Amino acid sequence: MSAVVDSHGHEHHHDHHGGYGGIMRWITTTNHKDIGTLYLWFSFIMFMVGGAMAMVIRLELFEPGLQWVNPDFFNQMTTMHGLIMVFGAIMPAFVGFANWLIPMQIGAPDMAFARMNNWSFWILPFAASLLVISFFVPGGAPGVGWTLYAPLTVQMGVGMDLTIFAVHLLGMSSIMGSINIITTILNLRAPGMTLMRMPLFCWTWLITAYLLVAAMPVLAGAVTMTLTDRHFGTSFFNAAGGGDPVLYQHIFWFFGHPEVYIIALPAFGVISQVIPAFSRKPLFGYASMVYATSAIAILSFIVWAHHMYTVGMPVTGQLFFMYATTLIAVPTGVKVFNWVATMWKGALSFETPMLFAIGFLFLFTLGGMTGLVLSLAAVDIQLHDTYYVVAHFHYVMAIGAVFAGFAGIYFWLPKWTGRMYDETLGKWHFWLSTIFINLTFFVQHFSGLAGMPRRVPDYPLMFETWNKLSSIGAFGFGLSQLLFLYIVLKALKRGEKAKDKQWEGADSLEWTHLPTPVPYHTFETQPVLK
Amino acid sequence: MSRNLKTALALVSISLVSFIGIIVKFWILRGS
Repeated sequence: MSAVVDSHGHEHHHDHHGGYGGIMRWITTTNHKDIGTLYLWFSFIMFMVGGAMAMVIRLELFEPGLQWVNPDFFNQMTTMHGLIMVFGAIMPAFVGFANWLIPMQIGAPDMAFARMNNWSFWILPFAASLLVISFFVPGGAPGVGWTLYAPLTVQMGVGMDLTIFAVHLLGMSSIMGSINIITTILNLRAPGMTLMRMPLFCWTWLITAYLLVAAMPVLAGAVTMTLTDRHFGTSFFNAAGGGDPVLYQHIFWFFGHPEVYIIALPAFGVISQVIPAFSRKPLFGYASMVYATSAIAILSFIVWAHHMYTVGMPVTGQLFFMYATTLIAVPTGVKVFNWVATMWKGALSFETPMLFAIGFLFLFTLGGMTGLVLSLAAVDIQLHDTYYVVAHFHYVMAIGAVFAGFAGIYFWLPKWTGRMYDETLGKWHFWLSTIFINLTFFVQHFSGLAGMPRRVPDYPLMFETWNKLSSIGAFGFGLSQLLFLYIVLKALKRGEKAKDKQWEGADSLEWTHLPTPVPYHTFETQPVLK
Repeated sequence: MSRNLKTALALVSISLVSFIGIIVKFWILRGS
C-alpha cells in the first residue's frame, strides 16, 4: 500500500463543509467523515443510555430481595439494555468506523450513495426514540428479553408495537448502510487496490455487510409475523391458533447467530489494523485471515439452534448444531493464531490502542472458550439461561466488541481530529475498564455454574457474594467510561497536534498518504497503486 | 444503468426476497 504514486488529489481543495453551517451541516451532510462522526457520537450516547439501564439491573441485584425496582420494570430494563446495546451502541459504532475509514482505505472520494448514507444514519435517532418512548405508554416497554420471544410478545402492550417498528427502522438503516458499504468496496476501489490488497478492516466489513443483507430481513420478517399475530388474526407463533412459538426461536436465531458475527467481524477488522501497527510488522497470514473471516460468516448460518438445545429437538439435530458450532473454533483459532504470530518477534510498543487490542485478544478468546463449553449440548442443558451464558456473551460483546471499539477510537482519533489524546489517561482508562469489567463478568461464571438463572431480579442468599462483586465491577466500569468521555473531549479541545503518521507501523492509505487531520474531502482524484 | 445502481438493486432484491420469502414460507406452511 505504500506504492501509491498520486495521492495529492485533496490538495486543491478548500476544506469547506458544504452549503450549511451549525446544526444543518449535520442534518444535511452527505460527507462520509461527518456521517462517521454522527454514528460514533450516537453510539456513545446509546452506550451511556444502555449502560444506565445496566446500572439499574446491577443495583437491584446488589443484594437478594427486591429493593429498587419491581420485577416487571426489571424485565423492561434487561430487554431494553440488550436491544439498545446491540442495535444502538455496538452496531452503529462499527458503522461509524466503516464510514470514516473504508473510503480512505480503498482510495475512494466518498461512499457510493452519499445521500442514502445520510438517510441510513438519520433513521437511527427515530428508532431509538421509539424504544425510549415505549417506557411511557400503557404497559410500559416490553419485558420479554432482547430476543423478543413469542408467545410473550403476542401478549405485551402497545410498547411492543413501538419496539417492532423500531426494529424495522434499525433493520432498514443497517441494510442501506450495508448496500452502501458493499457497493463502495466493489466499485470504488482505486486502480491497483485489488481485493486482496485491501486493509483487513475493509475485508471484514465487506463480509459483515453481506451478512447484514442476508440476516436483517429475516429478523424483520420475524417481528412482522409477531405484529400480524398481535393485530391481524394470524397465528404464526400463537399456539391457540395452531401456531408454534418455537418457530419464532428458529427464525430469530437464524438471524441472531449471524448477528453475533455482524458485531464480531468488524471488531476483528479493527484489531487486525491495530496489532500490526504496534508490532511494526505486516499482518501475519493476510490471505488466511480473509478466508477465516469468510468461513466464520458462512458457518454462522448453520449453527443457530445451539441457542435452543432445551426446546426439545431431536438428538440428531443437537449433534448437527453441536458439531457445526465447534467447527467455528477452527477459523476463529486461525485468527487468534495470526494475531499472536503478528506480535511474535515484532518491535512491540504498548500505547493505549495496543493495550485495548491485547485486552481484546485475551478476553475475547476467553469468551470464545466458554462459547465452546456452551456449544456442547449435554453441558448447555445444565447451563442454559444461567449467568454462565450471561458471562459468556458479555465477554464476547461487552468486552470483545467494546474493547475493539476503544482500540479503534484511540488508534484513529489522532488521524480524524488532528489531536492526540492523553496517553497516561488512556492507559488509566484501559486498566480501570479491564479490572472492573472482569470483576463484573468473571464472577458470573461461578454464579451461573451454581445455577443462578438470568433475567430474575431476586435470588437465593447463596449467590449474594458473587452478585455484590459483579455490581461493584459494573459501577466501576460505568464510571470509567466517563473518564473515556473526558479523554476524548480533552483531546478535541486541547490535545497536542498529531503527526501525519502518528503510529510508525501503520501502513494503510489514511496514514501513509493523507495529512493529519484528514481534509474534509479526500481522494477526489483517484490515487493509483502500483 | 450505472454499475453502482446495478449492485444496489441486486442487494435490495436479496433482502426483499429474504424478507418476503420467510413470511410467505411460514404462511403457506401454516397448519401443515
